[in-house]
Amino acid sequence: MKRILQSLMLFMSILLSQAFAQERVITGTVTDQADGTPLPGVSVVIKGTKTGTQTNADGKFSITLPRGQESLTFSYIGYTAQTVAVKGSILNVELGGDAKQLGEVIVTGYGTQSRRDVTGSVASVSGEKLRNQPVQSFEQALQGKATGVSVIQPNGVLNNPPVFRVRGFNSISLGSYPLIVVDGLPVFTGDQSQTNAPSNPLGDINPEDIQSIDILKDAASTAIYGSRAANGVVVITTKKGTQGKVKVNYDGWVGISNTQRLPELLNAEQYVTLKNEARTNAGQSQAFALQKLDDGSTLNTDWYDFAYRTGVSQNHNLNFAGASSSTSYYISVGYTDQQGIIRKNDYKRMIGRANLDHNITDKIKVGTNFNFSNSFNQAPSTGSLPGQAFNTGGLGRLAIVLPPNVAAYNADGSYNVSGSAIGYGANSSAVAPSYPNAAVLVNEDKFTSENNNLIATLYGQYEILKGLTFKTNYGLNNLNVESIGFNNRINGDGYASNGISTNGTVKSKRWDWFNTLSYNGTIGKDHSINAYVGYEEQHTSVDGWGAQRSNVIDPFIDVFQGSYGTIVPANLVQGENSFRSFFTNLNYDYKKRYFISGSFRRDGLSALAEGNKYGNFGGASAGWAISEENFFKNSGISKLVSMLKIRGSFGKVGNAGLSDFAALYLYNPGLYGTSAALAFNQAGNPNLKWETSKKYDGGLTIGFLDGRINFDADYYRNNIDGLILNSPQSPSKGIPNNSIAANIGSMYNQGFEFSVNSTNIRKGSFTWSSTLSFSTNKNRVTALANNNADLFGPSGLETANITRVGYSLGSIFTVPTAGVDPATGERIFINRNGDKVRFSFARPTASRWLYLEGANAGAVAPAIDATLDGKITGNAIPTWYGGFDNNFRYKAFDMNLGITFSGGNKVYYGTLAGLRDQRFWNNEVGMLDRWTTPGQVTDIPKVVYGDNTSNGSALPESQNVFSGDFLKLRNIAFGYSFPKSLLPAKGLSSVRVYAQATNLVIITKYPGPDPEVSVNGNATASGNSGNLAPSVDRNATPSGRVFTFGLNVGF
Amino acid sequence: MKMKKNNLNKIVIGSIAILPLFMEMSCKKDFLDITPKTQLAQADAFATPARVESQVNSVYNGLKSGQFLGGRYQIYMDIRGEEFINNLSNGVTGLDTWRFNVNSNTNEVVNLWSAAYTAINRANLLIDGLVANPNSVSADLAKQYTAEAKFCRALAYFELIQLYAKPFLADNGASPAVPLRLKGELTAENNDLKRSTVAEIYTQILKDLNEAEADLPLTAIPTRAHRNAAIALKTRVYLAQGNYAQVVTEANKIVSAAAPFTAATGNINTLEAKISAVFEGSYVGSEAILSLPMTDLSAPGTQNQLAYYYNVAAGGGNEEYYFNTAANGIYSNPALSGATSLDARKGFVGISKTKFFLTKFKKPSPYTDYVPVIRYAEVLLNLAEASVRTGDVVRATALLNAVRHRSDPAYTFSAAETSTPATLLITISTEKRLELLGEGFRSFDITRLNLPFPAKGAAPAVESTSPAYIWPISSGEIQNNKSL
Repeated sequence: MKRILQSLMLFMSILLSQAFAQERVITGTVTDQADGTPLPGVSVVIKGTKTGTQTNADGKFSITLPRGQESLTFSYIGYTAQTVAVKGSILNVELGGDAKQLGEVIVTGYGTQSRRDVTGSVASVSGEKLRNQPVQSFEQALQGKATGVSVIQPNGVLNNPPVFRVRGFNSISLGSYPLIVVDGLPVFTGDQSQTNAPSNPLGDINPEDIQSIDILKDAASTAIYGSRAANGVVVITTKKGTQGKVKVNYDGWVGISNTQRLPELLNAEQYVTLKNEARTNAGQSQAFALQKLDDGSTLNTDWYDFAYRTGVSQNHNLNFAGASSSTSYYISVGYTDQQGIIRKNDYKRMIGRANLDHNITDKIKVGTNFNFSNSFNQAPSTGSLPGQAFNTGGLGRLAIVLPPNVAAYNADGSYNVSGSAIGYGANSSAVAPSYPNAAVLVNEDKFTSENNNLIATLYGQYEILKGLTFKTNYGLNNLNVESIGFNNRINGDGYASNGISTNGTVKSKRWDWFNTLSYNGTIGKDHSINAYVGYEEQHTSVDGWGAQRSNVIDPFIDVFQGSYGTIVPANLVQGENSFRSFFTNLNYDYKKRYFISGSFRRDGLSALAEGNKYGNFGGASAGWAISEENFFKNSGISKLVSMLKIRGSFGKVGNAGLSDFAALYLYNPGLYGTSAALAFNQAGNPNLKWETSKKYDGGLTIGFLDGRINFDADYYRNNIDGLILNSPQSPSKGIPNNSIAANIGSMYNQGFEFSVNSTNIRKGSFTWSSTLSFSTNKNRVTALANNNADLFGPSGLETANITRVGYSLGSIFTVPTAGVDPATGERIFINRNGDKVRFSFARPTASRWLYLEGANAGAVAPAIDATLDGKITGNAIPTWYGGFDNNFRYKAFDMNLGITFSGGNKVYYGTLAGLRDQRFWNNEVGMLDRWTTPGQVTDIPKVVYGDNTSNGSALPESQNVFSGDFLKLRNIAFGYSFPKSLLPAKGLSSVRVYAQATNLVIITKYPGPDPEVSVNGNATASGNSGNLAPSVDRNATPSGRVFTFGLNVGF
Repeated sequence: MKMKKNNLNKIVIGSIAILPLFMEMSCKKDFLDITPKTQLAQADAFATPARVESQVNSVYNGLKSGQFLGGRYQIYMDIRGEEFINNLSNGVTGLDTWRFNVNSNTNEVVNLWSAAYTAINRANLLIDGLVANPNSVSADLAKQYTAEAKFCRALAYFELIQLYAKPFLADNGASPAVPLRLKGELTAENNDLKRSTVAEIYTQILKDLNEAEADLPLTAIPTRAHRNAAIALKTRVYLAQGNYAQVVTEANKIVSAAAPFTAATGNINTLEAKISAVFEGSYVGSEAILSLPMTDLSAPGTQNQLAYYYNVAAGGGNEEYYFNTAANGIYSNPALSGATSLDARKGFVGISKTKFFLTKFKKPSPYTDYVPVIRYAEVLLNLAEASVRTGDVVRATALLNAVRHRSDPAYTFSAAETSTPATLLITISTEKRLELLGEGFRSFDITRLNLPFPAKGAAPAVESTSPAYIWPISSGEIQNNKSL
């Protein structure tokens, strides 16, 4: 009633002013500061009133300004609003900036909030930052873009899910990927492929369709997601049409990618010399020889040529956006075709999106977001996916292990093979390699995965009363993944089986339905309330089946449908889980000065044990906008500091990333020959309950010079209790997988986050704006299962990580070494007692280990044991990281310079152990410094043929551990926007061309290709979390760099 | 005021419309009760007699794991000996076992330990479960199943300590062996258990086998235990303990006094007429005392298969190990490599690129040769050796001839080979190497007598005093069992 009266008064006053006041008509054009294009649909409002208009299709507006009014406010989604004082009758305005400024709206779960009202910790990245990036999935482009967000690209395989962590690693055994919510729907994450070509379903969201990404970090902002909030929540909002002229945009780029910093290997001559020397030192006859070609030259094979290439990629997007008064739409199509630096690694995606919103009446609104994607990935066996580090067919490994003095092809063009391995060429058969010929594998094997991914939501809302709205939202994520694998019969893994074809398909289905009743309003003048209650159900099922056929009937067959001798089932998957949740949220502020908010959620999950299925989660926060206080406004400091706000939050959230049936004792029916065999298959735990995190956050936001510089600082601490561990059991108990899931263990993460957003220079046509983010993370494990027994993190056949109470999760764990004994050229190890022990493979087994010094010098020492003699060599998780993103603009030219940095951790460069192995394996050139004469000081021991211990293959050793500090020139781009007058064709409203380089320079002391590496990735598939073994670089294919040339066109 | 009432109405009507949506939308009470569709809850495992029998089979399946008696155990036991040379330097297929370079982290040390104890726990769970569910099967069946579980447990412990413990004869079993687990393990309790001594383990093995002998069925298809299997296994156990008189006593229960040697009771065990019949065809003929069945759907698994390791590429193998042609390797025996040899076992030699390979196991991928664990020829040779050592040279010679003449009927051992007990022992040992080549006996026959391992190829000789003589305890056990 009151409102209606108010409106009436306003209306009347406008009438009156029309009639009696002196007024001015102001006209002008609003353009984009970046490229000068007119902006249609910009809201132009007389400051302090609700009176306003919009710019037309040409960006022009006309408004009548009553007497006494001196300013107009211009606002437009995606741009920083400006209030401009009116002088004269023509006013041209340039709008700039890209959204994410204080005052914008952020999406916090089931509702939205104005950025300035937020009291939790939320990092926001605008979709603009993801545009034009040569990535497969959006999160790959988030590196260095927001505080508290760590994205580690595990290696160079396309569409391999990155290790994406918010505020550290927040679980040991459970999934640690943040919850990804797209337009209200939690979508599938993690590698979904069953073969060597990974499939990250987040690649099925077109980065160009993303309007904004809000990363909820602390308990107050995540608690509304309750049991799924422990790893942070990433809320993605896709684009919508805005009123005004229909906008059509085309974005496209072409690019090339190539390798960098590959280890330099021995050539054929160096190889033969070194390996024969090793033979001699082992008391064996010379066995290596150079192979002469028919033309008299010496064969020298660079195996990198067979593994890597220069990839060529292209990407095209076209979108249409617009709105009438009642309906808005955004429609886009995208196509990407990317070639990796690894041969036969190709990623293709066709994607379409339609977002529609329609107001049926003033009170009823319906809408849909509909996204369908077909993505196809092909990759050879790279040995770079979780658990693959030691695959003999892994291309990353083959490229460095294969002898340079054997050929890929025989003189007649046939493959050089011998049984399952490559032929030994001029070498003796006694040193024949056991690895397959990389050329055969790349050419003849085939591994693909193909996603058909539907992500769709449908909502309806009804405004029951002013401010009171009911909303129902139904979401669907249907993901079908088809994995195809073929191992050829000529060489490699398929050889013994005479060809193996393995196909599988997995159907993952999820529906999610939530209903909310929300109230948004003001009581009196000063009390703003925003509250909702809701109920949600979610159901997920995963069904997969496939088969493996082997023994091809005819050699030409290389597809599953051909004729084979045998077939057995493969890739069988069956899982199902459901959530049922009740939640509520309240945000309140008084005069925009004092803020409190709280949320509560009760979640039930099918995977937990009977009686423990439900958990209660919640969080609360408070904030004080000091700059809104009169004493502040009246003080001199307000001229400098335009905004000052402090805030704090705490809360309890959970982690729901456990396997579907984790709590149950299970028996699995199998076959003993042809008879049924029912075997104990999983030790359950009826006491299994929620793994919970208690999160604390304190923060400060300061805006200087009217928002030109914004500074944010946060302290966070996350105490994780009741960690669900796959608690290791003594293998002698015979428990399946030697582990039982249990709530044992605790851990914390804490750190600081700082970000500075600033417009450093704005002078005439030149602007320089930058975003600097810096985050720290300290992780400590405080309790573990089985009386704090250590947990070991395997990387395939090797264990170089340990999780121990008092240390950081997954710390690097190796046997300490102390260089090379100058007298004997033997590697010196330090055993558990601190004694120095030297090792020579040339001695008989019983006397290979000898004491180096002391009373026992020269006496036989017990053999070094990786577990008993191993020591923690450093933490594996970066303790600091961040980014420095710069945008420069001068007239029509723009430049982006993005730097990321990370460090404080150690990386185990296991590949180096292989690069110095003294079997037939090729070595890196550093081996040329090997010890040869007594007294020589070097860190490379005497070479002894067959020795896999002195340099680290048999045991992880400390000399292969290096600092992981790095600084990367992640992105550099130069763009030019054609002035409108120069646009070549009618109908074009903007044209920008650019050149860009990604991953151009790495500054690091790390000797391997890239210290940003994790061969274990997220690795939850094999039952072992990748969190237990981070920062391991073992036989993986490294990441490359990409150069792109692109075009952005607006019609 | 009027306004207010309208509002109230709207709220009431709105709430009534919305309320159902806030109730449990799925309307299914069991929305959060989801069980797997491919696995059974433990409570149902003893629900029917068929499931109980199915569990018995799973105990054998534990033995049959490719990491254990389904392939790798036999391979490790042979490649530690002098018969084979590693061809591919592949750390995953036994290189470090072959060259005595394993440590507690080596995959074979870790995996075999775990596989053996998985089988042991299944046996223990079955024994416990039959007591806890007395009506799940008839009393007779319960006795039989318990006996089978004990047989399997004894076999698993016996094979385990051949690799992870010092030989009994080194110090009469005084050395520490492995943890002796006799109760089924389901929970997170009981991680810590000390190692029992070698003697204690042998005592338990014999107790289990004696109890099994009493309750096992007299006859059975030899993919499951029967009375003769328990007796046959005892001949191996007593041989390991150097208790030759008991070897004779046990063997006599299933070996007739004179040729043709046959078991008088139970399965009619006797030698097949042709050795080729043992490795082709049914696999469960008269000579098989215990064989582990393999099928396409119940195969040994990747890189675990005997044929994969030994057979030539043309036979579907991966040529991982070839014959050591040096004089101390068995291949140099004229029976295998002699140009004029008529020995049928020469038929188990294949050639590929100048190297010689064992082709006894023939089935290509997925390698479905049944894996022999106990066969009658072994019992005869165990008895032959024990007979010599207990003074019965005549019977020993007859047993030796029975094995040799099956493969080479015309062969006559020279006097030099058989004239004295000492030479006869060597000949019997050689015959065992010929007969059971690739079946996992070589390391056992070396270590049980505390003999050194001879050098072969690039692999060193290993004295019985060397730490490398036996395997270390698995790293997983070291990490989690604080009472070791």
